[in-house]
Amino acid sequence: MNTLLGSFRKNRNLWITLIALLIVFVLAIRGLTDQEAVGGERYKNVVITILRGFSTGSIIFLVASGFSIIFGLMNVLNMAHGALFMIGAYVGWTVAVRPDTAVDAFTPIALLTGGFMLVPIWDRLLDKREWLSRSAHIWPWLGLILTLVVLVFTLPKYPITSWDVGSYEISPVNFAFAASQGILEVPEAEQFVGISPAIGLGGIILGGILAGITVAGFVINRRPATAGASEAEPFPWNSLIYCLALIALGLLVHFFNTSISNYLLSLDTTWLFILAILVAVLTGAALGILIETTMIRRLYETHFYVLMLTLGVNAIIIEIVRTIWGAPEFTMHRPSIFAGVGDGCPAESFAAMMEYKCATIRVLGGRVRTYNELFIPVLGIVVLIAVWILLQRTRLGMIVRAGVQDSEMVEALGINVQRVFTTVFALGVGLAALGGVIGAPSTGLTTTLGDSLLINMLVALSIGGLTSFPGAAAGGLIVGLLQQFIIKYGQIGINIPFMEEPFKPTPPLVPAMTVLLMVIILLVMPQGLFGRKE
Amino acid sequence: MDNNILLKVEDIHTFIGQFHILQGVSVEVPKGTIVALLGRNGAGKTTTLKSILGLTPPTRGQVVFDGKQIQGLRSYDIATMGIGFVPEHRAIFRDLSVLENLRIAERQKGDLEKKEDFIFSLFPDLKRLIKLPGTNLSGGQQQMLAVARALVPENKLLLIDEPSEGLAPVIIEQMMEAIRQLSAETTVLLVEQNFTVASQLAQDYIIIEEGHSVKSGVMADLVNDPETIHRYLEAA
Amino acid sequence: MEKSLPSPTTQNPFSAFIKNNRGVLITILCLLLLPFALALVDGQPISSVLANDPGQSKFYQGLAIEIFILAIFALSYDLLFGITGLLSFGHAMFFGVGAYLTGIMLKSFGWGILPILCLVFVAGVIMALLFSVVLPRVKGITFALVTLGLAQVFYIVIQSRELADYAGAEIGLQGVTPPDFLNPISQRLRVYYLGLVVLFLVYFFYKRFVDSPTGHVCVAIRENEDRATMLGFNTFYFKLVALIISAITAALAGAMHGLFSPIIRPGIASSHYTIAALLMVLMGGIGTLDGALIGAATFRLLSFWLEKWFGGASQVIIGLVYILLVLFLPYGIVGTWRSRQLQIKQGWSNLISRFTGKRESV
Repeated sequence: MNTLLGSFRKNRNLWITLIALLIVFVLAIRGLTDQEAVGGERYKNVVITILRGFSTGSIIFLVASGFSIIFGLMNVLNMAHGALFMIGAYVGWTVAVRPDTAVDAFTPIALLTGGFMLVPIWDRLLDKREWLSRSAHIWPWLGLILTLVVLVFTLPKYPITSWDVGSYEISPVNFAFAASQGILEVPEAEQFVGISPAIGLGGIILGGILAGITVAGFVINRRPATAGASEAEPFPWNSLIYCLALIALGLLVHFFNTSISNYLLSLDTTWLFILAILVAVLTGAALGILIETTMIRRLYETHFYVLMLTLGVNAIIIEIVRTIWGAPEFTMHRPSIFAGVGDGCPAESFAAMMEYKCATIRVLGGRVRTYNELFIPVLGIVVLIAVWILLQRTRLGMIVRAGVQDSEMVEALGINVQRVFTTVFALGVGLAALGGVIGAPSTGLTTTLGDSLLINMLVALSIGGLTSFPGAAAGGLIVGLLQQFIIKYGQIGINIPFMEEPFKPTPPLVPAMTVLLMVIILLVMPQGLFGRKE
Repeated sequence: MDNNILLKVEDIHTFIGQFHILQGVSVEVPKGTIVALLGRNGAGKTTTLKSILGLTPPTRGQVVFDGKQIQGLRSYDIATMGIGFVPEHRAIFRDLSVLENLRIAERQKGDLEKKEDFIFSLFPDLKRLIKLPGTNLSGGQQQMLAVARALVPENKLLLIDEPSEGLAPVIIEQMMEAIRQLSAETTVLLVEQNFTVASQLAQDYIIIEEGHSVKSGVMADLVNDPETIHRYLEAA
Repeated sequence: MEKSLPSPTTQNPFSAFIKNNRGVLITILCLLLLPFALALVDGQPISSVLANDPGQSKFYQGLAIEIFILAIFALSYDLLFGITGLLSFGHAMFFGVGAYLTGIMLKSFGWGILPILCLVFVAGVIMALLFSVVLPRVKGITFALVTLGLAQVFYIVIQSRELADYAGAEIGLQGVTPPDFLNPISQRLRVYYLGLVVLFLVYFFYKRFVDSPTGHVCVAIRENEDRATMLGFNTFYFKLVALIISAITAALAGAMHGLFSPIIRPGIASSHYTIAALLMVLMGGIGTLDGALIGAATFRLLSFWLEKWFGGASQVIIGLVYILLVLFLPYGIVGTWRSRQLQIKQGWSNLISRFTGKRESV
């Protein structure tokens, strides 16, 4: 009892805020209960709204958790996080709806990455070569030009069977519609035109290798002359192995392209959806590594410039998405186990839902969508626990928690903090991409997806505390619940005393109330609910 | 090369931002000794330690540790060669428990188990507190933990920054005893404001003033040299 | 706080002003002559420029007016962020409110220009006060996020169906007819000169402000707020002053935008527009004021040419420029120029000394 009182005194503001939030929450629930209904059905609206709040909150949490860990550890405010979330959604859509395109795109990416993997080897071979160091400021640029020439001539020639944003018949919108109706027909696979496949494939591999040499050149030039002792490390043979493996995989996929595509197209949508999640997360992580190693790493000391940089990355990603997938909004179908509408649906019980793979389940007389309102929150909780275990129970998590406080000291202990940063960045972006692909079937895909989520996420984190992991969860949940409750009240109206008509909150009030809550909470607790005082 | 010298810092220059903090510091640390780095506030003692570790890389001069040049290497590479760092202000990790604070310093699994007995013999308190989070420790306990953390891996050299700062006299005694005992196994480069503590611990001294190393020698001589003490060490 | 002024006792203030602002005055002179110079290049008679006949000159006058407006906007952002160190992500809201107020008052309520300007002024102060509610408690990035949130609310409200009659929802506010003497089409040259005058009035006011004791405290707050507090300044008031001036200026720029552009799009109130201001300031050089002008001009001209040459891909290229700028030219054009000035001067004097055998002291 004493400790409780002590903790209350210590965190008075937190407790008061939480109690106030709880009271608001209870009042909101009371307002939604249907007084005329009998039994459990009274709470029909309440349950649905809370589930929807959990769903929205889960998506926000998935993105916010990665963002806040990155911010806490490296002081990098990654404004491109929303855009990377969006990339996850679009990549996931591509795998789920047009697996043939994904298979086509795999080969060039694998070949390029494979060639690129050789960077450590070039670094070792070319460093401290007399004849090279004399022209050290020229040859990487020559390499860059050569790389671009080779890639410009070969990469666009690689046949990727995709869509055309311009014409409706083969636009993503139409494919998305067809896939949701189960009548998807993909266009016939394209072939190399104009150049022989051998030259095309070889050119891409060559381009990747040249790009690797170029990067190694720039890295060598930037290294201070006094640095040495790299001879002590073993020769990076494993990067050669990765390179060969990736190129072999890329070629394999190229030669069995049609059969792989056909196999994937014949798969059940649930399996495709799982594949989409995997691919999206991996893409996100890979992009995270790319962004971290090429750009952010150079600017760690100057936090403001990192912010600027990620804003630039954000703009570029949005434009790239708009170029590839087009601006119009389209949908992603739900995996088959959450899409059933036939016999026995809406399901009356959980077991029936699993049996008939229902899209909806009846809870207290209301229909709850199984994907949006059950699957997403459950996944959110699973990720919450997984990340928590990662942070609390693994060595990586220990280093992250230590690094949040003092990354210099962690490095002084002999830990390669740089590598930890890259890992964490990849992980955070991977989580964002996971959020994107999971959220896609419920939110749809637009090019403004990233921006709106970014803002929700920042509000949630301001409420919960910018660098706090529990804060990310709490903030996401609060924002999600608040938004869903206001939306629900917008449908049924609030009975305000002394007013004839019930007041119906209009859609603009949703973000307005969220921001209002943020401002109030920040006024009471400038660090957010669970943020640490500086 | 003198085999007996573990660390040799020669005329290093270090910038922090645009400030030229170190303008020629030379340090020699013989194996198996405690060397004290003395000087007034802001003379550049802490920066010297950080420059050795590569946390603030020197732009000129060289650092030779155990016969190898280490300037320009990444800090974690330098640390893994066998240098432990005990930073000032008892910088332990507050969010980690005492055990985790020790575990994180392991370079190989099982390092802690090997050194456990030695560490707990130096600081018996820590064994009792092993589950507590770092925030709940007192100042002296935090300082002990910071030293203990540097002892977990096999380090040849310890860089200890202001171990007595802000501690009660009793705790300082305990800390000095611990440093004396651990110096039987490792070499120590000690930064210390408290001259009494430094003079009782160290065999050799180096004085730094305004980024230059100005004087070095045997501690016993310095104790009997009030003029030097007055000139370089007493509050200006 | 004492500061050592290079007191020019031998010069009268006027010639000192001329000397200190040589570059700016030359720029103003060039801009004054620009419409006619363009006409000469195009082979258009001067009289047709005065009569606002269509042609290259008129087109580029339009572009220049846009640059003037952007430059005022960038200046206001530079005062807030570059000088005082308050990072705001909601700056576009000031601009948007100025523009929409002007547009709505002209179109739906038929107000005159002067009352509208007064209203915009008041609105600027009110918005600054709104932003400043959190100012005493919230610092750094959290302040940026609060401003982002507030501005985002305005951005969503302005697009809402409920206000469509006034603000035109997602499409934007169309059909605003400015008074005849300020019509951007028939009186382009007059608007051009008016824009020029307003821009440099704001510029010189800002210069004066930054050199004033209040401005010095603002810079001190940017450098180290704790130290400024310890010196006995109530930093909140200084930040508030900077915020109010900045908000009024941005709202004024918005009002000019509302008068000048044929359609007021909601995009001007979005976070992208704040980022555009940030980009302009960054291009020119943070905290330099001159940089805001140069940055605005560079930004607008760059996006103009890029759009002309690359069309839809121009946004990607602007993003790339942005990234390259951050990576390789973090102090912007003016900042880099200033930091290199000594080197450049040294280079010149070396060159001269090679010929004359004498070494000039720099």
